[in-house]
Amino acid sequence: MEASITLKKVGKLIGDKTILAGLSFGIERGSLVSVVGLNDSGKSILLKLLAGFENPNYGQVFIQGLDMSKRRNETRKLIGYVSFENDLDPWLTIRQNINFNASLFSIDKKKIKERMQEYCSSLNLLSYLDQYSYKVSGGIQKKAMLVRALIHDPEILVIDEPTGYMDAESIRLTWELLKELKGKKSIIYVSNSIGEIEQAHDRILVFHEGRIIMDGHLDKLLESTIEYHQFQIEFESLTDDLYKSLKKIPTIVSPNRLDNIFHFYGRKRTVFFDVIKVASQNIMIDLDVQKLGLRDLLDSEFAGRGLE
Amino acid sequence: MISALIYRRLCLWKNHMVPNLFFFILVPIFVFLLISLPLKNIIRFSLAGIPYDLWVFPGLIFIISSFTLYPVIYREFFELRINNKVLMNISLSPYSKNKIILSNLIVACLETSVMILMSAMLYMFLITASFNISSIIFFIFCFILHCFLIGNLYITFTLIIDNLLTIFYIFFILMIIVLFGSGFLIEFSFFPPGFESILKWSPISIPFQIYLKFSSTNIIDYLSIFSMILLTYLWIIVNGQILKIKLRQ
Repeated sequence: MEASITLKKVGKLIGDKTILAGLSFGIERGSLVSVVGLNDSGKSILLKLLAGFENPNYGQVFIQGLDMSKRRNETRKLIGYVSFENDLDPWLTIRQNINFNASLFSIDKKKIKERMQEYCSSLNLLSYLDQYSYKVSGGIQKKAMLVRALIHDPEILVIDEPTGYMDAESIRLTWELLKELKGKKSIIYVSNSIGEIEQAHDRILVFHEGRIIMDGHLDKLLESTIEYHQFQIEFESLTDDLYKSLKKIPTIVSPNRLDNIFHFYGRKRTVFFDVIKVASQNIMIDLDVQKLGLRDLLDSEFAGRGLE
Repeated sequence: MISALIYRRLCLWKNHMVPNLFFFILVPIFVFLLISLPLKNIIRFSLAGIPYDLWVFPGLIFIISSFTLYPVIYREFFELRINNKVLMNISLSPYSKNKIILSNLIVACLETSVMILMSAMLYMFLITASFNISSIIFFIFCFILHCFLIGNLYITFTLIIDNLLTIFYIFFILMIIVLFGSGFLIEFSFFPPGFESILKWSPISIPFQIYLKFSSTNIIDYLSIFSMILLTYLWIIVNGQILKIKLRQ
């Protein structure tokens, strides 16, 4: 598939700190890519670089084959950017904010009207269009920023927290729109909502200390842990002796406790029966068994020890 | 870009019609009542023997334009950079930084021109003065030059300063210079000779001096005009670079 965005050994320093360290990767046209990582891991800076907000200290960013540093004005037309913070003009209405951005990109009035109608009705924003942007809630502002970014019909959409400040209904509508746009536009977004990332992605880039430590679809990322399960057993009383003997079971991984709850991982579901053998004399109140998800994978990776 | 910025200024006007109209009407009235009228009783005639209220008329227009330009530029390059980040969004549009600076200057000058038209009509009602066509055309040219120069100065300050208190102090100092140190209200010959020659070289005062020279002698100072146009051009480039640095782009 043709690359929409290509990074070649891109690095970004702020002061002495390396924010991005020699990143090289490509993003296919029409794909939905999510970027996850700890706070301050360089995710937002990556988005700012892609949007043209900041320049890399070294390396090159190509947007549809055009070098961003040399063909700045052309590449800017190809990108729509939604920042994390509200950057709407507070003394303009939402409609005026969107119209202003459209006129910056010299979009004709008919197209502005069509697109505004289409996107605003998808996001249930029509009734807010004539309100001042500072008077509406953060979720509405975020949706307005998304429409504003889409008004010049960019090929690439770069979004920092697509559903920040939104209620459940707005989150659903926003993802419906973004999934509809996927295929027509390349979408790259940063989110801290693991549930949303698990639901909406073609590819996940896991960031850690300015580097990509994992890259691929969730199923691929979880491939090595496909047999893993996490268990949680609540005892009526989890004594120290019982905890010590449970910890000694060779088939369990990463055991820990919280009050009377014993938490551990196991390569197979049958590990549970090994625990039952040891704890059969004790009263168990509750049990929870789950397959591993992205959060478990990230927790273990960021802790730097993996599940092993 | 210019049409987009004009659209936004029109929207802001429409959304805040009453306070804007108050500002537009009150500024020329206050300048006339509180500055020009009392000075007329102190300085009855200019050094060339022209009645003070006639002599000061062009200077009042320059003062009002300096007052009117400031809020427009302050909003664009300070308020929308520090508090709302709107300037960052504008910087992502497909235009160079120099074009962003130039377009904002043009739009601010256009808005100021409308204000000046209103003020001039008001003053023509208060002062009985007659001007010939060539003088009016040359005045408009010098006025535009002044707007571009002082607009650039405001842009430099609103870009390099990030602190609200500092920007207010700077505005206060600039207004004192505009009012009393630019030759708009008080002729330079009233100042001590050494200080006079320093003030005469201030870019804020040069377009006005070019106009005064033309109106009194009919001589066009081409060298000064060319120097000021060149300065404006270079200043736009410098401001474009400052904007680039400030936005880390």
